[in-house]
Amino acid sequence: MDKEQILEKLGGIFKMVMGENAANLETSSENASLVDDLGLNSVGILYLVIAIEESFGIRFDDVGTSDLKTVGQVVEYIRSKV
Amino acid sequence: MKEHIFASYTNKETFEKITDYSCINQMWSEAAANYGDRVALVDGQDYTFAQLDKMVASFRALLTQKGVKPGDVVGVYLPNCIEFAKAYLAITTMGACAVLLPPHLDNMTVFGCSMKFGMKALVYSSALEEKLDIVKAKNPALPLIEGGESCEDAAAGVDCPGPAVCTVLFTGGTTGKSKGAKLSHQAILEGVKNGCYGYPEVFGQRYLLVLPLTHVFGLVRNLMASLRTGSTLFICRNNKDMFRDIAVFKPTIMVLVPALAEMALNLSKQFGRNMLGEDMKTIICGAAAVAPYLVTEYKKIGITLLPGYGLTESACLVSGNPEAMRKPDSVGLIYPGIDYKIVDGELWLKGKTMMSGYVGDEENEIAYSADGYFKTGDLVRMDEEGFLYITGRSKEIIVLSSGENISPAELESYFYAMDEVQDCLVYADNSDGREVLAIQLLPRAVTIKALGITDVEGYLKEKVAQVNQKLPAFQRINKVVIRDADFVRSPSMKIVRSQNG
Repeated sequence: MDKEQILEKLGGIFKMVMGENAANLETSSENASLVDDLGLNSVGILYLVIAIEESFGIRFDDVGTSDLKTVGQVVEYIRSKV
Repeated sequence: MKEHIFASYTNKETFEKITDYSCINQMWSEAAANYGDRVALVDGQDYTFAQLDKMVASFRALLTQKGVKPGDVVGVYLPNCIEFAKAYLAITTMGACAVLLPPHLDNMTVFGCSMKFGMKALVYSSALEEKLDIVKAKNPALPLIEGGESCEDAAAGVDCPGPAVCTVLFTGGTTGKSKGAKLSHQAILEGVKNGCYGYPEVFGQRYLLVLPLTHVFGLVRNLMASLRTGSTLFICRNNKDMFRDIAVFKPTIMVLVPALAEMALNLSKQFGRNMLGEDMKTIICGAAAVAPYLVTEYKKIGITLLPGYGLTESACLVSGNPEAMRKPDSVGLIYPGIDYKIVDGELWLKGKTMMSGYVGDEENEIAYSADGYFKTGDLVRMDEEGFLYITGRSKEIIVLSSGENISPAELESYFYAMDEVQDCLVYADNSDGREVLAIQLLPRAVTIKALGITDVEGYLKEKVAQVNQKLPAFQRINKVVIRDADFVRSPSMKIVRSQNG
């Protein structure tokens, strides 16, 4: 699965987690912070992780969850797992 | 005799089993005797009531060996785990008082608490040991006990008077400033008992724990209610695994904050299956405002979601809604035994379930009325059938849908300390369809000019980013609005929160 395919699928997941606000995700930088820029709270991050695991059929390590801070890091993490 | 208002929501046999206990030792001794072979807790492995009872007796002996006596204060600095349950039961059933320290507390705060509460021992997790460096250096006499420690001996539990304080929980309270609420044996047990009312299947259930045990909802409505009702509690160690744990454990009941209930519902819709499992019958939902649609949507997949209302200061639930389908926007009926009155729209509470005050005196003066009622800060109305509705908050505290409490005053203090800021206001902003913490900043024109700042917005946003770096994730401010006109103010010139934000 290449980066574009991951980003496209991830866009759908962000939309599910954040509602219609996620529509501008594709235009946001990969450096966008999940907490500071996208406004995800603790439950939002949890929601994101569970939805990614379900959608991509992968499992996050505990280290992975706390280390992912930006959209780009999430994409890279998924790439390393699929 | 007038029938108990919750009697009709379960069968007679179940209802009659919901009885009073005078102290935690009495409740636990009876549970251990009645349900000995039944699994009480699952945390990597099964622990029966009898096994847990043995572990508790051994830990009481260990605490005694370390010098802890009845009436002493013992800190508990553990994440959700079997050791937490063991330590909490051992401390409270030997007549001591457990101060429950949330695992996210930092080194300095843990040390500060050890001094402020006069701890005689601190039970900790090895996973948190690195945050004990200041305690070790500055309070070297404090016995530190790793949660997994045990000893060969056993010590019997002791009965305590109901009003004796056995637990201190942290809360933002009415002012938002973090402080300890002192809860007695009778308060905890009233909270547990009230949690048994309003739904049919109470005893012998399967609970799955996702809320922190240092939160009143996790401690009283999950752990203690599960033990009290001979149920089995599965401890989910990492919430990201909750649905995998659900698939294995097949819980029948869960206690959730609204944000988690909403997440489970959305995931179920998205992935086309009930993520909470086919055995799930009841969700107890509270600690923040419950959106009425959650009640009706869950009903469609065969799950009864019961909204409730409670506070740390009331040892959990004050009201529960057994008629959620008929009145989905109500937080329910106030439990019998709670003395209440509504003063200028604000709910005031008194009774056995209420805390014994905050640790330290300064906050207690403003928390209570002259006639001893606790002023909740919540604005309510009650309908003709006695159902309660939360209409707003008079207290200056933001409760996020995740159940986390934010003190606007605490966050605003960072900005009031800046010369460039004249005034500010922190609030929860839902204008984009999702909840974010926002701040409105009114720049101090004189200072801005003197500093030669041209990009005021960029400058102040950078200041917010700097403050955010110091804050835990849930307290960070995600939206910044720069005002060019003053705030709406009261006659006494205070910013009117409800008319700004």
